[in-house]
Amino acid sequence: MNNILKISNLTKNYGKLKAVNDLSLEVNEGNVYGILGPNGSGKTTTLGMVLDVVKPSSGGYAWFGKAPVNDSRKKIGAILESPAFYPYLSAERNLRIVAKIKEKGADNIDHVLHQVGLFDRKQDAFRTYSLGMKQRLSIAAALLADPPVLILDEPTNGLDPQGIAEIRQLIQQIASRGKTILFASHILDEVQKVCTHFAVLKMGRKIYDGSVEEAMNQNQKIEVSSDEMDSLKSAIDNFRYVEELESENGKFILKLKKGNSTTDFHRYLIEKGVVLSHLAERKSSLEQKFLKILEESND
Amino acid sequence: MIRLFEIEWRKLKNYRVFWILFVLYFLGLAIVCSSGMFLMEYLKSKGADFNGIDPTILPLYDFPDVWQNITYLATFFKLFLAFIVIISVTNEINYRTLRQNIIDGLSKREFLISKFTLIVSLAILATVFLFLEGLVMGMIYSKVQGVSYVLKDLDFLAAYFLEVCTFLSLAFLLSVLIKKSGFVIVLLFMYTLIFEPFVVINMEHNPHIPDTLDWIIPYLPIKSLNNLIRVPFQKYVFMKIQDFVALADVLIVLGWLVVYNSLVLLVLKKRNV
Repeated sequence: MNNILKISNLTKNYGKLKAVNDLSLEVNEGNVYGILGPNGSGKTTTLGMVLDVVKPSSGGYAWFGKAPVNDSRKKIGAILESPAFYPYLSAERNLRIVAKIKEKGADNIDHVLHQVGLFDRKQDAFRTYSLGMKQRLSIAAALLADPPVLILDEPTNGLDPQGIAEIRQLIQQIASRGKTILFASHILDEVQKVCTHFAVLKMGRKIYDGSVEEAMNQNQKIEVSSDEMDSLKSAIDNFRYVEELESENGKFILKLKKGNSTTDFHRYLIEKGVVLSHLAERKSSLEQKFLKILEESND
Repeated sequence: MIRLFEIEWRKLKNYRVFWILFVLYFLGLAIVCSSGMFLMEYLKSKGADFNGIDPTILPLYDFPDVWQNITYLATFFKLFLAFIVIISVTNEINYRTLRQNIIDGLSKREFLISKFTLIVSLAILATVFLFLEGLVMGMIYSKVQGVSYVLKDLDFLAAYFLEVCTFLSLAFLLSVLIKKSGFVIVLLFMYTLIFEPFVVINMEHNPHIPDTLDWIIPYLPIKSLNNLIRVPFQKYVFMKIQDFVALADVLIVLGWLVVYNSLVLLVLKKRNV
């Protein structure tokens, strides 16, 4: 898998404040990589540095395996913070400027405006747009050159629920075409729905990174109940791979040790002759994992 | 280069404020540069005479004097041309489009060049306009006609072009440094019209400032620009003037032109945009 972005020991100080602190991470081709963190955790500063608009205090980064040059940014579609366009120009004219900067033709403009649902308003000045429409236009601008890499900083900021759903769908659709997406958000649900990998930042420091699937499985619990709860209880007690056990509303909720699947556990129960009336996997949300990570980092 | 000019052009061509400033500048320039003779007639009607000379017979628009006379008058208008540069640059900072341009793949050097193409284009337009203005006024009023007279002393137009380019580069630098258009406009106005002239007058005449420092004066940012085209009008009362563009003055101004643009690039590279 090709390395798209490699960040090494990146640090940014604003006076005494370390906005980003010795951050290293790697994004590979095809990843939908979420950068998570509370407000002020250094997400946007990090993206600003790899886009050459914020000067790093120390450390470095490489795009496409090479030291960064201006042309590497032409292969990246990026939005950073709030949408920035010429307010007196129409959407179409704004995108024509972007196309000129990226040295691309203007033939893709109508297509991207259709994609974000702004085609009917393309002749209107940017300043007449609502926040949600502005946000859509910046996504259109990012898509304009059909880049292999997208950087989206809080892309659903300011959108209504329908808009959020549409943009998520769009991101998933783009990701399914094999594009690499780097995605900053403080909305966990969003990351859980679209990302393959994620890193968690806190006060400029990376406190976790890994795949979303792994993180969710780590937190998976199993609900069981039976008409004969006593024999179920003793069976569970004898199963060596149970890590946690609690009971809730007449059900047992248990967590298996790493490397044990629900299937393994169920097979064991069948061997023991325990008949279940209820068996369910309880997928925990990334939110719980995230809160746990933050909590652990406090220790 | 053409790509960078086209980017700049697309930013401006649908911007109403730009066109208003643009038209106002040329309108003002046209009115002032064309009214020399009306002014003289007005002065005459008020009873003015310059050491016994009838003002209306002064050959203001005679070839080749016309070039120094109108380029000298036009230099006062460069402030209005600077507004266009100031607004165009501070807009990019306030709209955060400078930042977005960089994110989209423009280098900081390319951004500088794209704005410099605007500066050079404005200077070319102003110079061509003055050439046509001088040509028309000369054809109407000049007592001497003929290509050899018309084409003499055109170096004043070249000097005017250089002066505008350099002054607009100073406006560009201040805009990048200060970021707020109102502040930049006031500062540029005050510095050009009050602060530096005040310093120069003091250096020349204040007995407490030693004359050994006078060599600095021609190197000052505005004084060096003003030295390119010297005041021509005293010659009509038989005073000696410098009626040519001196190479040393040109070199000093070229030096400032390089300094301003290099500083812009330095600031853009050092700063978080």
